[in-house]
Amino acid sequence: MSDSSGDHAALEVVDLHKSFGEVEVIRGVSMSAHKGDVISILGASGSGKSTFLRCINLLEIPTAGDVYVAGEKIRMKNDNSGGYLPEDIHQVERLRARLGMVFQSFNLWSHMTVIENVIEAPIHVLKIAKAEAIEQAEALLKKVGIYDRKDYYPAQLSGGQQQRVAIARGLAMNPAVMLFDEPTSALDPELVGEVLKVMRDLAEEGRTMLVVTHEMGFARDVSSSVVFLHEGKIEEQGEPQQMFKNPNSDRFRQFLSRTMQ
Amino acid sequence: MGDSIVKFLETWSPIDVVLIAQNFDRFLWGALTTLELTLISLVIGGILSIPLAIIRAGNNPILNAPVWVFTYVFRGTPLLVQTYLIYYGLGQFEWIRETFLWGPILSQAWYCALVAFSLNTAAYTTELLRGSIVNTNRGEVEAAKACGFSKAMRLRRIVLPSAFRRALPAYSNEVIFMLHGSVVASTITIQDLLGVGRWLNGRYYLAYEGFITAAVLYFIIVLMISRGFRFWEKHWLAHLYPRDAVKTKPKKGLASFRI
Repeated sequence: MSDSSGDHAALEVVDLHKSFGEVEVIRGVSMSAHKGDVISILGASGSGKSTFLRCINLLEIPTAGDVYVAGEKIRMKNDNSGGYLPEDIHQVERLRARLGMVFQSFNLWSHMTVIENVIEAPIHVLKIAKAEAIEQAEALLKKVGIYDRKDYYPAQLSGGQQQRVAIARGLAMNPAVMLFDEPTSALDPELVGEVLKVMRDLAEEGRTMLVVTHEMGFARDVSSSVVFLHEGKIEEQGEPQQMFKNPNSDRFRQFLSRTMQ
Repeated sequence: MGDSIVKFLETWSPIDVVLIAQNFDRFLWGALTTLELTLISLVIGGILSIPLAIIRAGNNPILNAPVWVFTYVFRGTPLLVQTYLIYYGLGQFEWIRETFLWGPILSQAWYCALVAFSLNTAAYTTELLRGSIVNTNRGEVEAAKACGFSKAMRLRRIVLPSAFRRALPAYSNEVIFMLHGSVVASTITIQDLLGVGRWLNGRYYLAYEGFITAAVLYFIIVLMISRGFRFWEKHWLAHLYPRDAVKTKPKKGLASFRI
């Protein structure tokens, strides 16, 4: 599905740091995702997990560190005042298009219908012909089970439906990696399941995914590895069954006992 | 039969209907001038306001400052004063009279009114659009970023289409204000709708006849404008309403629910 870029990791993050003013939120996190990996990123609120995800596609500009997308390094430079900036915004835009992102608050374009949301970026960023984009979008909407609502506007859909459209929108870019930023946190409890099911299907068909989540069940049963962040650092990581059964660090054990009740 | 109606009106009607009827074509020509001035000003002002609003919504202080001054000056002073300054004021400067703009444009009352009206509505529309642009959902912009849209593309595909739609209800007010503001043209010799009313009053000393006729015609134009905007809003703001309201016609009782 995604590209076959030899032996490169689909995504590699090296020693990433991010500060907001004086506060350092991410304090040196490295991670790599190979094709087909599903990595769940856990952590208490304030642990920096969302910020970390947003640094990967440069929605937040990291303070230091490197990001490689399918083997290509996002070139960064230091400006005169010591700030860390992308060297070439066109490269950033090109690589962002290779990373599908799903947000907590869906962020569908409210003035476009469902199908328009899904074909928008393929047509205007990837420059795909409209007919081809529509054909592909319809297939994706069928896959996430929302084809019958393709001419609705986002405000006319439930949260779970909107999030499934947002997933289809991300998939339409045929990304190397899908980034999920707490995709079920804004949903009513009874709507969480339909979104998780779509994500589970994606995992099973071998999509590479990074998922920031509070859904312990998903982390344990679906992901291929789990990363636990604490105060901007990786406190523990590993194979989910193992980690959930025998947590090594006290902090992860405490986190589990608080969240698994 | 016709004669008796005329006779009845001449004798009994509180206002001189016959005089209005005799001059009605003048009123229609006046209305046409009013519509012309208003519409062309709105088009010019609207086109000017788009880049200005983008500048005002941005954070480039060098560009922002002059636009800020422009919008505050034109929103902070009366349209009448602006029109006088352009019509009476500019002619005082010899160098302006010597430019190529003088002969065809600035020496003509109609063009002076057009310039004043266009700049005035540009200022209001700029600030209206700026507010709309600034209030664009940040998440939607971020989603466009994450999809790899460039800044220009985000503006063109996401921010502006969304901002224009959200500005539509407020813009209908601006259109009505501009129509009413266009009466200023009658003070610099232009025979717009009010100008014809003034002419009738000046010639026959009959205030009601001229001004009520003008008022009724303004009212009809405003009704047509609001109907037009209702229609556009239904089309362009469909994404804000529940799906049923778009598909089915609202019942009579519900119609009053919309303000």
